[in-house]
Formats: sequence, C-alpha cells, structure tokens
Amino acid sequence: MSKRSSSRRDGAPDSSRRNFLKGATIAGAAALGTPAAANTAISGFPEQRRKAALPGPRLAAADASPPPADPVNQSSSGGDFMVDVLKTLDIDYLAMNCASSFRGLHEAVINHGDNKKPEIITCPHEEIAVHMGQGYAKIEGKPLAMICHGVVGLQHASMAMYNAWCDRVPVIVMGGNIMEADKRAPGAEWPHSAIDPAALTRDFVKWDDQPASLQHFAESALRAYKISTTPPMAPVMLSLDQELQENPIENRDRLRIPKFTPATAPQGDDAALAQLAKMLVAAENPVILCDRMARTPAGMPRLVELAETLQCAVIDNYGRMNFPSRHPLNQSFRRSILSQADLIVAMEVNDIWGSLSDFHDRIVRSSEPRYKKTAKIVALGTRGLYMKANYQDLGRYQDVDLDIAGDAEASLPVLIEQVKRGIDEGRKAVFEARGKKLAAAKLATVEQAKLDATIGWDASPITTARLCAELYSQIKDEDWSLVGTSIGLSWPHRLWNFTKPYQWNGLAGGGGVGYTLPASLGAALANKRHGRLTVAIGGDGDFMFVPSTLWTAAHHQIPLLYIVHNNRAYHQEYMYLQAMAARHGRGITNADIGTTLKDPFVDYATVAKGFGVYGEGPISDPNALAPALKRAIAMVKSGQPALLDVVMDQR
Amino acid sequence: MAMMRTSVKHLAVVAAIAGAFTLGNAVASRAEDAPAGDPVNGKRLYLADGCFECHGRAGQGGRFNYLTPALAQIALPVESFIAFLREAPNDMPSFSADVLSDKDAADIHAYLSSLPGRRDAKDIPPILNQ
Ligand SMILES: Cc1ncc(C[n+]2csc(CCOP(=O)(O)OP(=O)(O)O)c2C)c(N)n1
Ligand SMILES: [Mg+2]
Repeated sequence: MSKRSSSRRDGAPDSSRRNFLKGATIAGAAALGTPAAANTAISGFPEQRRKAALPGPRLAAADASPPPADPVNQSSSGGDFMVDVLKTLDIDYLAMNCASSFRGLHEAVINHGDNKKPEIITCPHEEIAVHMGQGYAKIEGKPLAMICHGVVGLQHASMAMYNAWCDRVPVIVMGGNIMEADKRAPGAEWPHSAIDPAALTRDFVKWDDQPASLQHFAESALRAYKISTTPPMAPVMLSLDQELQENPIENRDRLRIPKFTPATAPQGDDAALAQLAKMLVAAENPVILCDRMARTPAGMPRLVELAETLQCAVIDNYGRMNFPSRHPLNQSFRRSILSQADLIVAMEVNDIWGSLSDFHDRIVRSSEPRYKKTAKIVALGTRGLYMKANYQDLGRYQDVDLDIAGDAEASLPVLIEQVKRGIDEGRKAVFEARGKKLAAAKLATVEQAKLDATIGWDASPITTARLCAELYSQIKDEDWSLVGTSIGLSWPHRLWNFTKPYQWNGLAGGGGVGYTLPASLGAALANKRHGRLTVAIGGDGDFMFVPSTLWTAAHHQIPLLYIVHNNRAYHQEYMYLQAMAARHGRGITNADIGTTLKDPFVDYATVAKGFGVYGEGPISDPNALAPALKRAIAMVKSGQPALLDVVMDQR
Repeated sequence: MAMMRTSVKHLAVVAAIAGAFTLGNAVASRAEDAPAGDPVNGKRLYLADGCFECHGRAGQGGRFNYLTPALAQIALPVESFIAFLREAPNDMPSFSADVLSDKDAADIHAYLSSLPGRRDAKDIPPILNQ
C-alpha cells in the first residue's frame, strides 16, 4: 500500500471514496494501493467497472502473476548521488524555484547534503535565479547552479540565460524532466515534460545534455562545469530525468565520480604576441581598448603593468573591472583620442566595430570610423573561439591587421614580457613624455567631471550626479563594491576611485531589462562572505520586471543597498519615441504614452517593506538624500538589505 | 555613394555648430539683436516637448545613444540654436516649425540661458570628497 492511498484513508470519507472502496473489492487488492486506482476513484469509474467484460486470457495471466513490488521506503536515491557529484564541484549555491520535476534532487540537497554546498537560495522567479548566478559569478569567479522546472521554469529562465551568454558568464543551469512517457502522471507532468527541453535555450548555452544514467550524469556534470568555466565562458544546461533523481540506486559501488580538472584558459600564440609587442613598442599613440578583459583578480594588475610599461592610453568599455578609474592612463572619457591612435589593441571586446565607429541613428542610418585610415588594429580575445548563428550578439565585421585568438588575461604575461624586452632607453623617454601628457589630460577630465556634477545640484528631481556624489561620499572609506547601475549612468566611473577587482562587475550583456536587481543581489551574495558593502543603482523599469527579488534578499539576509533610479519612466524608450515623433513632425508632447510609469506612481519603499526589506522613499528633496543614505547604509552594515527610492532626473 | 558623401559633409558642418554647445567656463557672446524669449514659457516647453529627456531638467546634460551636452547657460546664440533645432546633427531629433515655432524655440533658449549651470565645487563637500 502506497503512502498516497494510506493518507487518503486517513481523510474524511466522501462519496467518491465510498465508490472507490466498492470498486476496489472487484478490481482486486493488488490495484488498491496504486495511484492509478485512486485517480479512477475520484472520477467515479469503478461503478462502470463492475459492468466490464470478463478478463481475457492475458489479463487472467497477469492476475495470476505476483503483484509488482511496491516498497514504501528507500535507502538510496539518484538524487543523493547527484548531490555527491555537485559537492565535488565546490558549488556554493543552488538558486531555484521549487518544482516537482526536481523534487528528488531538492530533497537530496536538503537532507543528504545538509543544505550546504550547495545551499538553496529560494527565488520567486527563474529569471531571478539565473541573473543572481550571473552577478555572483562575476564577483566570486566561479559559477553557482540553478535548477528549474524543465519546461515552464526554463522558459522563465531563458532571458537571463541569454544575458549571461552575451556577457560570457558561466551559470550551471539544470531542469527537471520526465523522459519516459509511461512514467508521467496525468495532468501537469505531461505539459511540463519535453523530449528535448534544452532545445529552447540551445542557441545561447555553450553545451547541454540530458543524462540517461547516473554515471552519465556524473560525467556530464563535470563536463558541463568545465565547458562553462573555460573561456569563452557561458551558461550550460543539464536536463535531469525525474526518475533518475528519485529512484533507488541499484549498486552505488558501480558509480564513479570522475576527477575534475579545470582546463587552462587558451593563451594567444607566442609568435603573434611577440609581433603585437613590437607594434606596441614602435607605436607613437597606441590605445588599448578593453571590455570583458579581467576574468580573475589577476586581470587588472596585468593590464596596469602593460599600460604603465608603455605609458599608453586605456579605454575601458566597463564590461568588467579592467582598469582603475582614476589611473592617469585611463582615458575612457576621452574617446576622441581614438582618432589620433596609430595602433588600437582591442582586448576581449565583443563589438569592436561599434567601439571604433560613429554611428548615426537617423532616417538613413550611416556611420564612419573613429580612427584614421593608417591606424593598425589588433584584436586579442576568445570571442571568435565559440560562435553560434542565430542570435546576433556579434556586431559588424571589423577589419583588423592582426587577430590573436586567445584569452587576453592569460596572454598578458607573455605580451608584457615581450614588450619589456623590446624597450630601449630612447623609447622609454618617449613613453614617459607620452604618459605625462595623458596624466595631465586625465586630471583635467576628472576636474571637469566634478564641475559638471554641480549643474542642478539643488534640483528636484535629484540629478544622477548628485546621487552618485552623495553615495560615494558616504561609502568611500568602506570596503565597497558597486555591482549595478541604471542605463547609461556614467557618474560613478567619472567621479569615483575604483581600484579593486571586485569594485565593479559590468553590465547585463544582452541588454535584457530585469537584470540589475537580481544580478546585484547575486553579487551581494558573493560579497557577503567577504564582508564587503555592496551597493547598486538600478532603473525603476528594471525593478518592475523582478520586484520579488527583494523577498529573496530578505529571506536569505543578503546585505545590499539598492537605490532605485526612479525616473518614473522606461526612459531609454521615451527618448527613442520622442525622436520618432520629431521625425514625423507630430505629437512631440505625446511620447510619454507607453513609456512612462505614472498614474499611479509606484511607491518602491512600500513594495520593499511588503517583501520584508527596509525601504525609504520616494526621496525627491536633495537635502533629504544624505541622511537617508546614512540610515540605509547603517542597515546594510548590520547585515540586512535596504532600498532607497530616489526620484531622480532621467540620466 | 555621392549622396552618402554629401550627407557626411553636411553632418560635419552641423557638428561644428554642435561643438559650440560645449561650455567652457567663459560665457560666449550672444547675438545683440536676439529676440527676447520668455523663460517661463520656455521651461514649460522644455518639459512638454521632451527636451529634458536628453538634456536634463536642470540643463545638466544626459545620455541618449551617447553622452548628450549640458545646455544650462547655453553658449550658442539664439539664431544658431533655432537653425540647429531645424536640422540637428547626429542622433539629435530635428524639430520642424510645425511642432516648434521660432518663438517657442527662442523661449526655450531664454530658459536655458536662465539656468544657473556649473557652480564652484568648493561649496559642495560631497563633490570635494570624490
Ligand atoms: C526584457 C526587455 N524588455 C524591454 C526592453 C526595452 N528597453 C530597453 S531600455 C528600457 C527601459 C528600462 O527602464 P529603466 O530600467 O527604468 O531604465 P531607464 O531607461 O528609465 O533609465 C526598455 C523597456 C529590453 N531591453 N528588455
Ligand atoms: Mg526608468
């Protein structure tokens, strides 16, 4: 007798149960405990069964054979073994929204694995779980795992997987599924099963599998982890059969967890790097352009060493914490220098063409290069090592003079060594003079930024410059980490002094809105164990996609100061719509329709409180900002999340 | 191709005017005989017609597809400002006289001229803390 039928017996009798009991006497004792019989009872079929024809020879034979085994206990499960495998991968967290298709693994994680490595992070939406993984990996330098309901949960997870894919970030995505059709229960298990669940996301994961046995799972889990974390990094997807998770293991001794060895990052060809070193030493105005360059804490110091050796300009696209913001050679807000460059080296830049072209978003779209015709262009990165055809996150084809396939961070030591070898005293003097000029220009840029930040200082809505200046003023002596910004917000990088690898972790990657809040929380989860003060500034539109992220913050007590850049609009789109109306010479006062968040305004602080998070706002008075920041920072330093709703100007 | 070349040249000319937006600390000279605009109506239009979307309510600038210029204490003379609006360069939308009359544009110009612009950072401790 199964647990299901016995618990039914404990319940209050009802008419269907009476039918069930009547039918049971005829259907025979063996059928009594099966869930199928229980289902039949509910629909009242037993009455009809009595009228059924007498059993034929086959049925009679089946009746004569012993009833199938129906144990009520098990002492092992595939899920337990899966947890053992995950533990060898040192995965700290399993972000998830619970679902029956992985109830076997879920139970094994909490009871067999003691809810440690991985520890479950409960997420109200699968997009939140994956985005948390994206933000987490960029701070912690390793992936977390997420698991979802194979079909419907994966559909929710997919946009975040796309962001992570475009952002070259590893996330171990798993989903439950029931492979064998004859094992699926009627009802939800059918629409929640697929013959190939991963097909949905195959265009934006690096690899996927649906293991057919536990040994297969062990090997595929290790393979998935390795593929995901080898540059170019990307999410991977494993579909886990429900029966495989739940069923007892016949012989545990025959299962083997293979040895995990991470693959080294691919380094650029030595000869090509030597050639690049020569070009760098000989160039009069070399510029290094970087985007997702720093992969580990070693990345930034390496780039600093190269740039300082050459005393050359660095322009950062801010995909990662690549280069200190105040470094005299950081010329990120002087992109016009590209027009003077005789050598441009793009390191881990996805869209080199976009960075090197002025594009005009006009009725007839046009563009021209930002660099002079004689400039040499070199690409160094892993972008070309793994490509897929459908989604177009690649940018236009860029002419280059030397294309070095290899991980930039891994290639830098060889490049630096070659550069140092090639420098003589004459070049050294030239470099020093060049560095002095760049340093002076940098100083002027920072002073100009400070001056620009004073415009509208007392305005309400509060300027974004004021918010950023006030925030930095209060955190600069803490061990801070900025892990999210609203669209186009450049003030932190113009004003703040970023020096540590974890002080910035880049952007969404694929531009899918709904990234900033959950990815910031994932980054805060990583920062928590290091005792860092995590802050983020995110759009109100972004927040509206994934507000329940705040519940996860409260539930898991993840300290994060989250400032809602409340411009009461999907402002990026508001500007585009304004441009469309102006093109037509009509309705330039109508562009707020469908682009703004008003009537009613959203009260984000109240929303936060509803999820159990400290919230203050809306703050419109610029003089109220500093005290509110102080209170919220105190809350975060005590280990709690806090939200400030700041009514700010658009950009 | 020929058309492409002219349009690029045209852009370059207008971009040169755009350069005049960039504010130094010196206030550039204004046309002597500029029509006196109404800054109060100018503010209303600046908000209603969407100028603030890219250039900020305080004329502090912002960001569209690239950083957009601050307009507080605008240096561009009013005639050039109006001409600029009619055929704007780069990604700036052009505003025809059908939706924005010369008078309205002059009012917006007057409003931008009335905005205080940059301040001395020494009065502002959070700025000094950067
Ligand atoms: C999933 C998704 N939906 C819609 C968009 C289009 N989109 C781009 S920016 C933007 C506005 C986002 O609003 P908010 O986060 O408040 O930023 P704001 O532009 O107001 O600063 C939208 C809707 C998108 N990129 N991704
Ligand atoms: Mg917004």
